Amino acid sequence: MTAHGSSPLHTTGLPRRPRNDAARRRRSGAGGPRNWVAPLVLLIPTGIVLGAVLGYPLVRLIINSFEDFGLRALFTGTNEWIGFANYAAIFTDEDFLPVLLRTLVFTAALCIGCMVVGMAMAQLMMYVNKFTRMLLSSILILAWALPTVSSTLVWQWLFQPLYGVFNWIITQIGWFGDFTQHSWTGHPLQAFSIVFILIVWQSVPFVALTVYAGQSQIGDEYYEAAALDGASGWFIYRNITLPFLQPVLYLVVILQVIWHFNTFNQLWILTQGGPDNKTTTLALWSFQKAFASNSFGQGSAIAIVTALMLMAITVFYIRRLVRSGETL
Amino acid sequence: MTTSTAGTAAPRATTAAAARTPRTAARTSATGAVSLRRHRRRHPVAHVLVYALCLIWVFPIYWMVNTSFKTPADIQSTTPQFFPHPFSVVNYINALTKAGFVSSLVNSLIITLGTVVVSIVLGFLAAAALTRFRFAGRKAILISIICVQMIPGTALLIPLFLSFKSLGLLNSYGGLILAYVASVLPFSIWVLRSFFVALPDEIEEAAKVDGASTFRILRSIYFPLVLPGLISTSVFAFINGWNDFITAYVMLQDQSKYTLPVWLVSFSTNEGTDYGGLIAASVLFSLPVVIFFMIVQRNLVTGMSSGAVKG
Repeated sequence: MTAHGSSPLHTTGLPRRPRNDAARRRRSGAGGPRNWVAPLVLLIPTGIVLGAVLGYPLVRLIINSFEDFGLRALFTGTNEWIGFANYAAIFTDEDFLPVLLRTLVFTAALCIGCMVVGMAMAQLMMYVNKFTRMLLSSILILAWALPTVSSTLVWQWLFQPLYGVFNWIITQIGWFGDFTQHSWTGHPLQAFSIVFILIVWQSVPFVALTVYAGQSQIGDEYYEAAALDGASGWFIYRNITLPFLQPVLYLVVILQVIWHFNTFNQLWILTQGGPDNKTTTLALWSFQKAFASNSFGQGSAIAIVTALMLMAITVFYIRRLVRSGETL
Repeated sequence: MTTSTAGTAAPRATTAAAARTPRTAARTSATGAVSLRRHRRRHPVAHVLVYALCLIWVFPIYWMVNTSFKTPADIQSTTPQFFPHPFSVVNYINALTKAGFVSSLVNSLIITLGTVVVSIVLGFLAAAALTRFRFAGRKAILISIICVQMIPGTALLIPLFLSFKSLGLLNSYGGLILAYVASVLPFSIWVLRSFFVALPDEIEEAAKVDGASTFRILRSIYFPLVLPGLISTSVFAFINGWNDFITAYVMLQDQSKYTLPVWLVSFSTNEGTDYGGLIAASVLFSLPVVIFFMIVQRNLVTGMSSGAVKG
């Protein structure tokens, strides 16, 4: 309880570090070659693994994207340097624009959907009794914990044309007509819709629980003061809750962008990019180019373009992280 | 809140948020009686909505369990049953006896446990180096560890596949373990670091005065003290390795080397009609993760994030 209460959003939940310890450490660890030999030895294994599995592939990805790296190169082991030809091929590919737009719209729709539902849920949780709240949190954690492969396979079963319960339910409701034997993956927009529902179902627990936890740490005194001034509910939400939640919301949104932009498993298992490649996003496109058409050079180029776009979107967050690194 | 502190506060606040989820409720009710809690008014409409949300969110899981206990005939019925009658475990028997289930379970266990052991050993050593010593480049290493998490894992899949192919690491346990260790290590180091940072310097100073070696200090002093952190990072590594689909899907081409997720997906494409067996196998596959997740959920928020950043 000691760390709690002073400034709600600064409580870390992890043990706190004493404020003057940087200065203290500098004092205690002065002198002697051991100061760099020991940490070096300790860091070598990690350095090797990260270098081999993250660093080297990253360099190789960049190089491959400038090479004519196809099936032939895989066997002969010689890959010709072709400059920006792979990039030119992608940008002039008739699939490029539709795939790009699809990815952006899909990501934006998911981010908005997950944030709206998650924040609404968090706010609702403030208005219910403890039992109801615990019930919802437990169910959310359960949904969150379920491995993606499992939930995607369950989705496949829920929306199975003939025996899926979803078609049965909406046919019973009757508003939309007869859905017996309706195939949801047969139409691009409908295929996207079931993937959308799946991902919202999977991601909202993280958003709702994180936002709720942030919200419940806001001091009562602010709300009491606002209530005394006769402020309305919406006014309080906009002027007290949202500003306090800002750092939490910021992080949650960024994570949503990164996750949804890179969505692969759900789309791949449910649609494989079909029908007629109409649900292919950048992540799937790169994968298909590399592993289905054995065009590793172009696949790498798409991966780089994707990574650069994601970086452009998240650059502010990275800058903030680097700035916060000043106090590491 | 100034911008410079907000940057630090954001990731930490979320860890806190997650860390406190289960406890906050208890605390709220404890203080609620004392303070006014105007913003926590009970509202009947909110209750109705929350129960509706509960229903929507639990339905897929309920349907999964429900299906797994039906007889194959009841599963293939155009009028779905909302409760399994007769109750049957035949789907579980089918799943367990299906060709490849046991071998992929064993593969999954070997690869996952390998990932856990290697990642906590490396994470422990690296976190110790980055917190208990001061040396040039320390800050740069810490920052690059954060940035490394921003690289989408699917992007690295192509060069990783090509390297593994030329090194003969496809279809090998070691190759996948290496890939998983690299994907969880940055997060593990980051979490363990916060445990190390919280330890007072005096312990180490006292041990040094007593003539303890660096290795001895690490093993006998720091190891037990950061054990809680090691437990939560190993659960994170477990979940990451156990759940991964795409890396294993690319790297494992030999059916006898499949991990459970790859086996499950191939099962769904090859034997699309046996939904009972598929769903029962999914339940078995999910069970360990769900149990572990429920236990350590409070420490996992940032873990989930880095897991997803890696694709």
